[in-house]
Amino acid sequence: MQNLNFIINSPLEQFEVTSLIGLNAPIFGYLNTSLTNLGLYSLLLLFLVVGLHFMGNNETKIIPNKWSISLESSFASLSSMVREQIGVTNEIFLPFIYSLFFFVLIGNLISNVPYSFAITSSAIVCLGLSVTIFIGVTLLALSIHKIKFFSFFIPSGTPLALVPLLVLIELVSYGARAGSLGIRLFANIVAGHTLLKILSTFLYKLFSGNLVVAVLTLIPFGIFIGLVGLELAVSFIQSFVLTLLVCSYLRDAIKLH
Amino acid sequence: MAGRIALNSLKVAARPRLFAAPHVRSLATSSNPPPPAERASEIINKLPSSPNLITKTGTAVLGTGLVATAISQELYVLNEESLILAGSLILFTYIAKVIREPYKEWAETQIGRIRDILASARAEHTQTVKDRIDSVNQMKDVVSLTEGLFALSKETAQLESEVFVQKQKVALASEVKSVLDSWVRYEQQLKESEQADLTKTIIEKVLASLKDEKTQRDILLSSIAEVEQLVKSKAI
Repeated sequence: MQNLNFIINSPLEQFEVTSLIGLNAPIFGYLNTSLTNLGLYSLLLLFLVVGLHFMGNNETKIIPNKWSISLESSFASLSSMVREQIGVTNEIFLPFIYSLFFFVLIGNLISNVPYSFAITSSAIVCLGLSVTIFIGVTLLALSIHKIKFFSFFIPSGTPLALVPLLVLIELVSYGARAGSLGIRLFANIVAGHTLLKILSTFLYKLFSGNLVVAVLTLIPFGIFIGLVGLELAVSFIQSFVLTLLVCSYLRDAIKLH
Repeated sequence: MAGRIALNSLKVAARPRLFAAPHVRSLATSSNPPPPAERASEIINKLPSSPNLITKTGTAVLGTGLVATAISQELYVLNEESLILAGSLILFTYIAKVIREPYKEWAETQIGRIRDILASARAEHTQTVKDRIDSVNQMKDVVSLTEGLFALSKETAQLESEVFVQKQKVALASEVKSVLDSWVRYEQQLKESEQADLTKTIIEKVLASLKDEKTQRDILLSSIAEVEQLVKSKAI
């Protein structure tokens, strides 16, 4: 019974995508649509990001209030990052980078709320995002540099004999960007949440024991709170890292080395 | 058996700490010593209440009762997620408490900086507009002044043209005068020359006639006749 209970409360259970409301109808062949927890939290994320910016708009007043100054500061930081990484002449990518940052950040922060679902722990969301960005960046590079884009795979000063090998290595390295960008985010969030779930399960078992053990468990519970804080920090760091790497890929696509 | 041994060892391990806890607490709170009674009253004061309807005791009793009911009726199930909830609440509360004041200070500094920049820009703009108004104000008479200057220049041009005409007239008159003067001088010279010629001719004729005897005789006769007449008239 205990084992069964443990299996049911698997730490990976929290990442399962389940259907909340579904519609199965024998029309158009066989129609099957459903609102999943992933879809629901995606909608929540959308409303939160839009709502946050709507509230932070401060009724378009020039002088910001205590809330809107944080948004303005975030915008200034992201703007300086784009200008430093991609270049002053390519500020056209700022809206994309800004949206991406807030999508990932708010998605990560929502996942830190207890009883919620982590969108960024979904492999399909993260990989979909990273592969889409990879394809977009590659198309951008091809449209700018045409056939010269392929010189990106040959580092300058390479001996002719090593060119086939290096091209292969560079190609694999370039292609790995499509996966690494998403996997980094997905793996960090999944690892963090799984760790918290496992630790909370252990702590719950300990707190459920007698009074002395429960009192003593307050010490690991303190460490657990620290880990929750670490997870909060990971949310910020991962969104920043993802944005920074996308900036870096864009710079490579535009400047080609 | 193993569990019992572990439990006993934990109890033993916990005992000194439990006794030591007040001492540790006294050390930890020695720098910031709020009395326990005050701390308790702070917590009680934080409970929501209204003077007439809800008392603090009522809030506490109601809250505890609701939580107990929710748990006992399995409306809320205590599980490992509750621990995450508790940990998150503690952490978020702590972060909010730690960050609130520095964030408030930072935000106010930034807002103050922006407000100062806007205020100084507004002041500079106002000053610039005022300067512009002053500079334009100095030139408020420029239209009438220009009109006066134009009228004056027009009058000057007219006068200059009149002066020119007069100068031309004077020049013409002086030219005419000089021509006429020269003509007059010429006529005078011619007349003088003619008179000189005439005088000379007459003198020559007179002299020639004087040399004529008949004329001399006539003159003599007429002179005698005049003398005789004088004598007769005076009756000398």
